[in-house]
Amino acid sequence: MTDKNLNLDHIIPEDAREPSLVPAPAAALASLVVPGLGQALTRSVRRGLILFFSFLTVVGLILWRFTLAAPRDTGWWDIFKKGLYLDPFLIVVSFLFAILYLWIAFDAYSLARDRQNTPLGVFVFLAIMFFALGWQIGKINLYSFVTNADEALPALGRVGWPWEKAISYESVIFQAEADIEIPCSETPPAVNVVTDEPTLVSSPTCGILSVQEGEPGSELHLEGYNFSPGIEVNIMWKDPIGNEFRQRQGGKYVIIIPDENGYFETDIIMPYRLLPPSATEPTYIWNVFARQVAERGKAKLSDDFKKIVEKMIETIFIGMMATFFGIIFALPVSFLAARNLMSASWVTLLMYYLVRAILNIIRSIEPIIWAIIAVIVVGLGPFAGILALVLHSIAALGKLYSEAIESIDPGPIEAIQATGANWLQTVIYAVIPQIVPPFVSFTIYRWDINVRMSTIIGLVGGGGIGFLLIQYIRILDYRSAGMCVWFIAITVAILDYVSAEIRARFT
Amino acid sequence: MLEVRHLTKIYDDGTQALKDVSFSVPDGEFMVVIGLSGSGKSTMLRCINRLIDPTEGEIIWDGVDLAQLKGDDLRNARRKIGMIFQHFNLVKRSHVLTNVLTGRLGYTSSWNSLLGRFSSQDKEKALVALKRLGILEQAYKRADELSGGQQQRVGVARALMQDPKMILADEPVASLDPVLAHSIMQYLEMLNKEDGMTMICSLHYLDLVQRYSTSVIGLKDGELVYEGGKDDILAMTDEQFKNIYGEEAERVGSGLEGNLQANAGGVA
Repeated sequence: MTDKNLNLDHIIPEDAREPSLVPAPAAALASLVVPGLGQALTRSVRRGLILFFSFLTVVGLILWRFTLAAPRDTGWWDIFKKGLYLDPFLIVVSFLFAILYLWIAFDAYSLARDRQNTPLGVFVFLAIMFFALGWQIGKINLYSFVTNADEALPALGRVGWPWEKAISYESVIFQAEADIEIPCSETPPAVNVVTDEPTLVSSPTCGILSVQEGEPGSELHLEGYNFSPGIEVNIMWKDPIGNEFRQRQGGKYVIIIPDENGYFETDIIMPYRLLPPSATEPTYIWNVFARQVAERGKAKLSDDFKKIVEKMIETIFIGMMATFFGIIFALPVSFLAARNLMSASWVTLLMYYLVRAILNIIRSIEPIIWAIIAVIVVGLGPFAGILALVLHSIAALGKLYSEAIESIDPGPIEAIQATGANWLQTVIYAVIPQIVPPFVSFTIYRWDINVRMSTIIGLVGGGGIGFLLIQYIRILDYRSAGMCVWFIAITVAILDYVSAEIRARFT
Repeated sequence: MLEVRHLTKIYDDGTQALKDVSFSVPDGEFMVVIGLSGSGKSTMLRCINRLIDPTEGEIIWDGVDLAQLKGDDLRNARRKIGMIFQHFNLVKRSHVLTNVLTGRLGYTSSWNSLLGRFSSQDKEKALVALKRLGILEQAYKRADELSGGQQQRVGVARALMQDPKMILADEPVASLDPVLAHSIMQYLEMLNKEDGMTMICSLHYLDLVQRYSTSVIGLKDGELVYEGGKDDILAMTDEQFKNIYGEEAERVGSGLEGNLQANAGGVA
C-alpha cells in the first residue's frame, strides 16, 4: 500500500472482508459432496444456495430428459445408455453437466483462496448448461431445417404468388354426334361431312348392341375432327328415349386426347342393350357423340377470389363493429378507472381498484379464447368474433381512455372555473378538448388492431377471412390460402397507413 | 375595495399555507405580492376567487364576503375577477379565439355552451380584445402554435372578456424572458390605468415591482412580512428585498440596477 489515501476497504461488502472458514481444498471437497456447500463454507452463503438449487434443477431436468428419451428401459444405467444411443445430443448435455459439477468445486476452491475476487465464470457456464438443455428440450434440429427447407418451396411458391387462382375461364363445350342405326337396315344413316365445326365420323353408321352374357356388339371406328387439342374428350351415347351414358371399354370410360390438329380416332364396341334378348326391337337411331369441356372462354374472376373478397369485407366490418361497441362500453368504464376522478373517497377508490382489476383480467385473456367461448354461446360466424373482440376492446380501450383522463392538465380547468363557468361548461371547454384527441387516436388504433385480430379470430370460427383461410389450409389449397394471406397483408398495410395518418392529425 | 382579514389556509395534508394574513387593496390599485416560491402567494390569490377554499378568514369585496359565497353567487362574483396564470392555462388544442371566448362563459347559458355557441357580440368583443393585445392575426391558430409571450396575451385577453373589476395575476411573467415580461406587464398596467381594473399580481423581480406597482405586500412562510406604498417601494434597497426574498432575489436588466429615476420613463 503505497497510497494510503486510496483505501477502498470500506466499500467492500461486510461479509467479503472476513476470511474463509475452511481452507481451499476442503471447500472444493465440500462442493464435490454437496454442490454449493463449499461456497457456503467460505461465507458466500447466497452464492452457495444459488448454485445448489441450480444444480438440483439441472439434475432434475437431465433425469427427466433421459427417462423421456428411453421410456421402455428400467434401471438407471440402462436408461442412461439407451438415452445416449437414441438421442446423441444428450452426450453433449452429459458432458457439460460433468464440467458444471467440477466447475462448482473449482469455484469453491478459488473463492476460499481469494474472498475479494468473486469470479462469474461458474454462472456463465450455468447459463450455457441451461442453453444446452433448452436446445435438447426444444428438439432443435438445424440439420433437418436446412436439408428439408426445399420441401416448403412448392407451398411457399403458391402462397407467395397465388394469383393464377384469381382468374378462371368460362368453360366451352365442344360436342359432335353421329347417328347409328340399330340394327343395320338397307339404308343406314349418311356419314357426317367434315366441316370447320367439331365433327364426329363413324364407320360404319349402323350395327348391333352387345348382349348381356352373349355376343359382343359391332365395332365402330370413330374419328373426330376440329376438337380442342390436348383436352380430354368423352365418348358418350344417347338412346332413343334421351338417356345419356358414357362409353365403357374394358371396364373403363373411354377418354381420348386429340392431337395438335384437334383430330382423334378410336375403336369402340357398341354398348349393351337395355332390353332382355328375347324382346324384339324395331330399328332405332341411337346417337354416339364426343364431348369436350374446354376452359377457353372469357377470363373472369374465380369463385374463390370473390369469396375471399367478401370475407375480407366481412372481416373489416367485424373489426369496425367490435370497435364501435367497444367505445360505447369503454367510455363510461374509463371514468370509473381514472384514478384522479376516483380518489375522492375510499368507496370510489375501491371501485377504481375493482374496475381496474376486472379490466386487467379481461385484457390478459387473448381474444382467441373469448372467441371460443363466444362460439359456444352464439354459434359459428361473425357475431361470435364481434363478441370476443368487443370484450377485449372494452378492456384495452377502458385502460387507455382512463390513462388519457388521468393525464389531463388541470391548469385549463382552473382557468375556466376562474371565469365563473359552471361544472358543465368546465367539462365542455376544459376537459373534453383535452381528452378527445387521445381518445380518437386510441380508438383508430384499436380499430386497426381489431381488424388484424379478427383474421385470427376466424381461425376458431369467429367468421371473417380467418375462417376461410384455415379451411383452405386444411384442404391444402395453398393458392387460395395465399390469396387470403395477400388480402390480409394488403388490408392491414392500408389500415396501418390510414390510422397513422388520422392519429397524426389528432396529436 | 378588497379587504382580506385573518386569512388562513391549512391544506388537508396539514401544510399551513397562509397564517392570519390581513391587508386591504383600494380600487384601482396595482398591488404586487412578493415572496419566495412556496411562501403562499398562489394560495392567497386562489383564495380570493375561491379556486381554493380558505380555512378561516374573510375576504370582503364591495361589501360582500367572498369566502362565504356558494353556487351561482360565487360564479357571478368570479366572473368579475379575471385571472392570469404563470403557465397561461390555455386549452392548447383549441383555437385562440375559442380560448378567449371561454372568458365569456360566466355570461353564457349552459345550453348554448353545450352547443358551443357564443353570441356575435361576444365574438366581436373577443376580436377587439385580441386586437388590443396585438395578436388579432393569431385568432384562428391553435393555442399551442403561439410563442410564450403570445400565449400569455391570449390569457390576458381571456381575463379581459370577463369585464373584470379586478385581475389576479399569478406570476404572469415567470415563464417569459425579460423583454416579454415587460411587454406583458405593460398590458397589465394599461388595463389598470385605462380601464381602472384593480390588479393583484405576484412577481419575482425587484425592478418590475418598482416599475409597475403602487403598493406591495411581502409573504414569507405564509405570513405577511412587508407592507408598503409607492414611496416605500422606490426607496426599497436590494438588501430589504433580499430580506423578504432570501438570497435568490434577482433583477431583470442590469442597466436599471440602482437607477430608480429611469424607471419612471418606462422600459423599452
